[in-house]
Amino acid sequence: MTNFGAKILGSSISSLTAQQALIANSSNNIANVNTPGYTRRQVEIESRIDVANIGNILQIGSGVQLGNIKRYTDEFLESQLRSASSKKGQADVRNDYLSRVEVSFALDGPQSTVGSALNNFYSAVNQVGINPSNVDLRINLMQRGEDLIANIHSTYATIAGAQSELNHRVPLEINTVNSFTTQIAQLNGLITQREAAGVIAIDERDQRDTVLTKLAEKLSFTTLETANGMLNCYLDNGFPLVNQETSRNLTATSSPSFAASTLPRSLSGEVLSYVTYDFGSATAPSHLDLTQLLKNGSGTLAGILQMRGTTDPLNTSPFEAEGDLVSMASRIEALTRGLLTTANQTYLGVDEDTVTAGFQSNAGDLNGNPPGVFGLFDFDFSGVKDVDGDGIPSLSDLTSTTPLISNFSSLIKLGFTNPAEFAAARDNDPASGSKVFPPGDGQNAAAVAALRSTSSSFSLGNFSFSGTMEELYNSSVSYVGNAKAAAQLAVQVSDANLLSASNKRDEFSAVSLDEEFANLIKYQKAFQASARMIKTAGELLDQIVSLI
Amino acid sequence: MTRISETQAQRQLVSRTIENKKRVNMFANQVASGVKAALPSDSVDAGTIARYKQTLDKIDSYTTTIQRTKSFLTFQDDVLSQASDLLVRAKEIAQQGANESVNNTARAHLAEEVYQIRDHMASLANSTYQSRFVYGGADDDDPPYDVAAYTEPSSGPAQTRYVFDAEFGTATINTLNVTDDLSIAMNTPANKVFGAAIEAIERLGRSLGGYSTTPSSGTPDGGGVAYTFPTDYQTQTAAILSSINQLNVARDNDILPERVSVGGRLRRLETGESLLSLTKNSALEVLSRIQDADETESAANLAQAQTALQASYAVTAKVLRLTILDYI
Repeated sequence: MTNFGAKILGSSISSLTAQQALIANSSNNIANVNTPGYTRRQVEIESRIDVANIGNILQIGSGVQLGNIKRYTDEFLESQLRSASSKKGQADVRNDYLSRVEVSFALDGPQSTVGSALNNFYSAVNQVGINPSNVDLRINLMQRGEDLIANIHSTYATIAGAQSELNHRVPLEINTVNSFTTQIAQLNGLITQREAAGVIAIDERDQRDTVLTKLAEKLSFTTLETANGMLNCYLDNGFPLVNQETSRNLTATSSPSFAASTLPRSLSGEVLSYVTYDFGSATAPSHLDLTQLLKNGSGTLAGILQMRGTTDPLNTSPFEAEGDLVSMASRIEALTRGLLTTANQTYLGVDEDTVTAGFQSNAGDLNGNPPGVFGLFDFDFSGVKDVDGDGIPSLSDLTSTTPLISNFSSLIKLGFTNPAEFAAARDNDPASGSKVFPPGDGQNAAAVAALRSTSSSFSLGNFSFSGTMEELYNSSVSYVGNAKAAAQLAVQVSDANLLSASNKRDEFSAVSLDEEFANLIKYQKAFQASARMIKTAGELLDQIVSLI
Repeated sequence: MTRISETQAQRQLVSRTIENKKRVNMFANQVASGVKAALPSDSVDAGTIARYKQTLDKIDSYTTTIQRTKSFLTFQDDVLSQASDLLVRAKEIAQQGANESVNNTARAHLAEEVYQIRDHMASLANSTYQSRFVYGGADDDDPPYDVAAYTEPSSGPAQTRYVFDAEFGTATINTLNVTDDLSIAMNTPANKVFGAAIEAIERLGRSLGGYSTTPSSGTPDGGGVAYTFPTDYQTQTAAILSSINQLNVARDNDILPERVSVGGRLRRLETGESLLSLTKNSALEVLSRIQDADETESAANLAQAQTALQASYAVTAKVLRLTILDYI
């Protein structure tokens, strides 16, 4: 005969245990409501099989028992979240750095720009052309020239500084990536170890997902979970960053084994680092170049490399690199080189003395002296500037100095230090070898001022442009504006995507207090009911005992 | 069933609040600055804006140039007006002197005034504008007319004469590009304007003063021979009449055409200035359309964004405070 009293007590006690477990789980969920990456859990309960009454017609059951703990996670949603994080990391970096650079090309405000300074300079030259002996106008011209130089210096320095900062960020980001991949490999080991013992390593899996999301902010990768719970991470070319319990540390090196000893300089003269994996030993490194691969992907690292620029190891000029900042700097540098060559050539005038060998300038200042080769715009350099010695400034002179000069935008200066030294006049004496520069002659200044409307060809690295200097600047404004607007849009899109992915993930995985509190009431009521059942069973037993 | 977790609700509300705050900030900046495209990324027309700004700067520069040039040419017009008046006065004196009722002594007195007219004419040829000689060409720090001397007489105004100082640059006509497609001659060499006038007045002075030798162009001729009166009285009269003709030629062929030319250049400058003004207005209009904020629209947008932000704050504060705990 079945002992129903004992059965009632047994079922109730199992229920009390189960409800307490459920309440404890809700308590844990509530405690972690704000824990980043936490995945809500649910204790699964199931009816206990009535082993003693198998075969009996009347199977009432023997209570409830605890099953597994379910972790609410969806690999697809997690992967969506990682992808969105990656895109946002990339967009944020691009937007941040373009915001900094964009200010140098402002369309409005009190600060001057290269464009406005160039315009003012030409106007000042024009004024001197009208009244060449007016010292006030010459002083104004010098001030405008210095303003133009200062703007070129500061704009270039802003771009080069941003590139330098990004270059220094590369190893820091790589260290972070290595730290994450190491953690993932370690967590792989822990998860396998715990799950081999039949326990679901929920907390470790949560931690691993959190680290994966953080890693995704840095770079894009794919994952593959093995049967034993390990999760491998691969770069887009299949290179394993994490393979089971092993992680592969990347390195940011400025002297990789695949490059020549002289590596490309950055805009500020530094060396652009490469992201590599070293297959070799400490004494004989053998680097696999992953720079381009990471640049083409997404994540903070991709954004950094896209902005900073990457370059072929055989390149030697900073302007041969491919990157947003390099493109912007190329435009400023092309303008600078235009000033150093085209403007200086015009300023020198024509050969006054065709009889005497060599170029003799037909321009002259207020003291009757001809300008130097780099008389209007010069650059700080102690070596030979007119390398071919022909007396005419040319691009080949600029690219043949010893040692080589990587950029002129940070070296350019005004070619004269005294207002009287501006050569506004041209020779009034037609005889070869004899020069007369009347103080009221402004022909040379007029010729320089006419450059404002003169088209030239500008080319540097991957950049080329044909038009006036002002048009070159305008195209730079458009380029910067479009790049920044695109980055801004990318931030908006990635923000929206990340928000959507996070919401989708949280909709499924995050804790809802409403749900937990409702459950809490449910579990509490069940607990109270079970406790009441024990009391009822006790009363039943009391009744039976009272019969005796 | 769609679940709404706590972090989800919080994130969504905060995201919307931040978005609204950004919009408030953007419209507040537009209202405060009056500009909606302050940075290149604010407008797809950034390159065009930069170009229009350069155009406006250029127009301002050209306008300043035109105003300075107008002032310079107006000064020349005044000089030429005075030169013309001087020639008229010289002609009056010549006509008075040519009258044979005037004896040679009275003629000599008239010569005194003629020499003063000559000196004045030379000073007009050596006029300076902002410390530069207007008719000096490129050689504008040197007076175009220098004083030379005759050996006969040995003293007095008839002893001196004015000689054009032909140096490199004195023949230069400074041409100024006042705009991209308007160039104006700034000056005419002094000898082209005043050469004949000075020479005619000089001749008149010497004739009235009683000397037969007339100055020739170029270097001084070394002196003059005095008339013998009454023998040379008729010859003197003929010389005075001849100089009247020269005064007419100088006035009609040099001074007046130059004055007309200066007037023409002034009118061209005024036309150019008007065109620049029209271009500037047009450029400003386009620039304003693509760069400036519509104050009314921006203010309305700001008010709308502020309302949305206030609503976001209110909703966020109320909704996040609300839990089922309050009802248990």
